Amino acid sequence: MNTKKTANLIFFLMTGFGAASLVFMTAGILVTLVVESWPGIERFGVIKFLLSRDWNYAKESFGAARPLTGAILAAVMAVAMATPVALGVAIFLTELCPAKLKGSVALAIELLAAIPSVIYGLWGLFVLAPFLEKYFQPLVGKVLGDVPWIGGYFQTKMAGGLNLVTASMILGVMILPFIASLAREGFAQVPEALKESAYGLGATRWETIRAVVWPSAQKAVMGGIIMATGRALGETMAVAYVIGNRHGALESLFSPYVTVTSVIANEFNEAGPIQMSALFYLTLALFLANLLILSLAKRLLRRT
Amino acid sequence: MEPSKAPQELLRVDKLRFYFGAHQVLKDVELPIWGNSITSLIGPSGCGKTTLLRCFNRMHDLYPNNHYEGRILMEGRNILDKNEDLIELRSQLGMVFQKPTPFPMSVYDNIAYGLKLKKITNKPLVRELVEKALRQANLWEEVKDRLRENALGLSGGQQQRLSIARSLAVSPAVLLFDEATSALDPISSAKIEEMMVELKKQVTMVVVTHNMQQAARVSDYTALMWLGELVEHGETTEIFTRPKKKMTERYVAGHFG
Repeated sequence: MNTKKTANLIFFLMTGFGAASLVFMTAGILVTLVVESWPGIERFGVIKFLLSRDWNYAKESFGAARPLTGAILAAVMAVAMATPVALGVAIFLTELCPAKLKGSVALAIELLAAIPSVIYGLWGLFVLAPFLEKYFQPLVGKVLGDVPWIGGYFQTKMAGGLNLVTASMILGVMILPFIASLAREGFAQVPEALKESAYGLGATRWETIRAVVWPSAQKAVMGGIIMATGRALGETMAVAYVIGNRHGALESLFSPYVTVTSVIANEFNEAGPIQMSALFYLTLALFLANLLILSLAKRLLRRT
Repeated sequence: MEPSKAPQELLRVDKLRFYFGAHQVLKDVELPIWGNSITSLIGPSGCGKTTLLRCFNRMHDLYPNNHYEGRILMEGRNILDKNEDLIELRSQLGMVFQKPTPFPMSVYDNIAYGLKLKKITNKPLVRELVEKALRQANLWEEVKDRLRENALGLSGGQQQRLSIARSLAVSPAVLLFDEATSALDPISSAKIEEMMVELKKQVTMVVVTHNMQQAARVSDYTALMWLGELVEHGETTEIFTRPKKKMTERYVAGHFG
């Protein structure tokens, strides 16, 4: 074998090893999760576990419905809050920002992503939650509290600022840089000539962004939103601080609640055997939910 | 509008200097653009011909740290004036780029887009103008059954004619071509050249090209640029057969560039 072929082979093995190690890690995690949650699977079944709202230590009866609902609601609300801001940031940076400012604004956003999540959690606990409790919750309750059917979800029924809304706001701030930087990359990839031809027809800046920049970057933005959703579903520390950790019915968005990760963080240390297995089972459910979201998103992106 | 017999001066470049930052790219360029004709700008890479072309519709204003000195006169007014309405100006001077630039929307919407910008929304009228523009760009027969399809599905040559049709739909006085055929195959280029000659009835064209045969074939006037200066300008036949300057003679004979 000549040296060129050897070099090629070595290169193939090195990159192949990198790729394979990722697959093995994911597979390993999946196997561990299945093995550890097996007692729980045997005891609670699949459908029953997913639909059960139980979280009873005495009866050792555990269900995933509330933590999964909490995780999904918090993630969706976080994405809904962060996306408009992130898009604004991305469009500002690529289309409007004076060149001198660009670097520092972009840096500020990247730094936001570098703050440890425990800091966000503590800030949420000591600053954001009291603030929301004092000013935001009464306001929302006043404005939306009397809407028929859904009004109750906007009333504060349990005192305190530690609740689902606070958690999703913290999450929103945390995923903002992800969506913003992926969207910014998408906007930056729109060819200059395409924008120029819109300007060349007499389009204003805003018209150009709407007709050309936004449609061309849509896919990248969707990708960013999906990645951010995945991250929001899995985020732990910040959420564990501010979600309130209460296994109870969700009577209001301003009620303390649970998410998959907050339950794990709070209960893992002191869990009995079957509870431990239920925690692994929860993780498995979240893992599969995330997989489902990712594959749906991929299909969606391919089609458009 | 009947084209008058005697050529009319539509644009006049008057002592134009253009700077990217401190770097001077155009040096006292003087050039008339005659109405209902095609003027080619030729010259080696980096000579400033594209920079000059992009002065006509003030494309340089999209980027910071550029500035103009001198004038470009259009109907007596200086379009380089800083109070010039660029939105209005650009709808009067359309531009076609090197690579086709279809917008990510349907064939029909691509053409209708410029009309929408001009607040022309009456449906039958828009339909009529879209068809007219596509016919002018020799594209109608090929796309009349796929008007609702995404324009990105057209071939490169069709996309370029679509870009031209889109510019034509807003009935500009001038069309600026920035090496508009250099990315296309010979057959597609030939179709566009044919169309350009047809279009002279309605619109004045300024064409930047690397392809000297193309300049000789389609244009009525040719201007040679070199290092930011205008070397020579005149009727195309004169420039190619009896150039006044030695440099022009050498350039058109292919000795440099």
